[in-house]
Amino acid sequence: MQTNSRRYSVLSYCLAALLMLYASYLLPRLLPGDFVTAMYSSSQVTLNAEQEQELKAFYTQEDGFGGYLLDFFRLSWGHSYAFLEPVSSLILKALPWTLLLMGGAHLFSMLAGFVAGVETAWRRGGTAEKAGVGLMTVLQGIPELGTGVLLLLVFALHLGWFPASGAETAYADQSPVRQVLDVLQHLILPFSTLFLAYFPGNFLLTRGSMVMILKSRFLETARAKGLPPLRVRYAHAARNALLPLVTRFGLRLAFMLTGALVVETLFAYPGLGTLLFNAIAMRDLPLVQGIVLFSSLLVLLVNLALEAVYIRLDPRMKHAS
Amino acid sequence: MHRELGRRLIRDPWFLTGAVLMFLFAFLLAARPWLTAFDPHDMRFQPLSPPSAEHWLGVNDGGMDIFAELLKGLGNTLAFGLLAAGVSLLFGVGAGLACAWFRGLLDVLLMRIAEVLMAIPAVMILILMAAFFRPSPLFLALVLAALTWPSIAKVIRAQTLVLKGRLHIGAARQMGASSLYILRRHLLPELFPLYCIGFASKARMAIFMEASLSFLGLFDPGRKSLGMMISQALEYYYLDIWWSWLLPPILCLSLLIMCVTFLAVSLEKVFDPRLKEAL
Repeated sequence: MQTNSRRYSVLSYCLAALLMLYASYLLPRLLPGDFVTAMYSSSQVTLNAEQEQELKAFYTQEDGFGGYLLDFFRLSWGHSYAFLEPVSSLILKALPWTLLLMGGAHLFSMLAGFVAGVETAWRRGGTAEKAGVGLMTVLQGIPELGTGVLLLLVFALHLGWFPASGAETAYADQSPVRQVLDVLQHLILPFSTLFLAYFPGNFLLTRGSMVMILKSRFLETARAKGLPPLRVRYAHAARNALLPLVTRFGLRLAFMLTGALVVETLFAYPGLGTLLFNAIAMRDLPLVQGIVLFSSLLVLLVNLALEAVYIRLDPRMKHAS
Repeated sequence: MHRELGRRLIRDPWFLTGAVLMFLFAFLLAARPWLTAFDPHDMRFQPLSPPSAEHWLGVNDGGMDIFAELLKGLGNTLAFGLLAAGVSLLFGVGAGLACAWFRGLLDVLLMRIAEVLMAIPAVMILILMAAFFRPSPLFLALVLAALTWPSIAKVIRAQTLVLKGRLHIGAARQMGASSLYILRRHLLPELFPLYCIGFASKARMAIFMEASLSFLGLFDPGRKSLGMMISQALEYYYLDIWWSWLLPPILCLSLLIMCVTFLAVSLEKVFDPRLKEAL
């Protein structure tokens, strides 16, 4: 199977993580001369002399890459001069929102895409299937930026059904139930944008692999044994369609990050993406660096977890290794 | 073999739609000097004026003609995408062919590098570079290409390994053909369908990246781009000229990505026999 050859080793992930850390260590040191002054002169943030010295010291530490690594694991990622807070606390505050938005969108789009793909493949033929596949292919061509702006214009600004920005109503002392509803109401537009971006791919891939699988002989056996159709469909057939889905998720996660960044920024959702956008806009270098590094390592971690999931899903992998 | 595939391709509605869109964009870009007389950087018009016979899509907040801006942005976005995709393809094909043909240490080494690169989120490296160095778009396109070649290399390598075992390659080798000759005359042309698929999918990714990064403000603010136009127009969404300012770049970007997506989907469908029946 081609999917098996795409599996990576733990070593690759460790190397990738080290490479990211090293790039983040090296890049500021490659810059010529007094880049701190130059960079912050064009920024809205004004540093006083003491802060400037601190920042320069942060970038010219002489304890080498080892010291940098140690600092990284101690969560001392520098100080944000735009938000006047340590970088690590800013990131950890934004992280739950990103996990809620991205995790939710991925989970739902995967589940929905999987079920829809399996069911469509099961009932092959007919105009409904053709129309569905056509629509999904078109939808696949619309970037998050396009759907997001349209949803924002129509549902938030024109109709006013949903809030246009933020993740919760500020300073509202509400009961827990109201609070959850409030969060959901803020979530729905960015969530829908991401859902619309992820769903078509999951659907098309599941359907494609399912059509192939449905031709296998072992399904005939399962049916001949008299197993109920639902069991044949999901326990026997669809299980195989899950594998390419997991593989695709891992391969595209890094790419999908870009879309999530745009969506968060667009809806001013207070996650890592918006934080990164603000940090870039204000040229807050330690913060940019911290977020980039943190989220890259997070992506690597998710990919590593996926490997474990994959081995669990595919018993052949266990025997192969 | 390829000629028959080409005929099937032309009959595919997705390919036709994609090709029509592509010609439309090519025409828009080629005819730019005749379509608009304005320089997109010219700032002397009445800011925020609605569309008129002179300014087809009106004027933005900085007093620049939006239609001229749109065409320039479209060109920049497209150029970034095509360049990144082209260089990525070049790297990928070179690495994939070399790995499959020479095997040994080179194969192990390059494939290991490929795995590491595939695990790294390219966008994060681009953001880091853009934030620290403020490099030219050209440089960023090259960095993107340097980060995204592995997936092409893997496909090319796998297919080359299959081809390598075929009889006609063995026959060519028997007749005393050199490695270089076989690579150039047999393998390179035979892998042609894979180049198309790889190029289309990389172009899609790169265009999407460029739009997103420029939307986030990572490029030089003087450089026109669809993403930047969207982010500027969004600030004035409440004015009723949004449909002539905000909508055109969004439509352009969506159609552009759709065009490349359709081409990629269609190419993959026609060229990949495994998918023939699935779609």
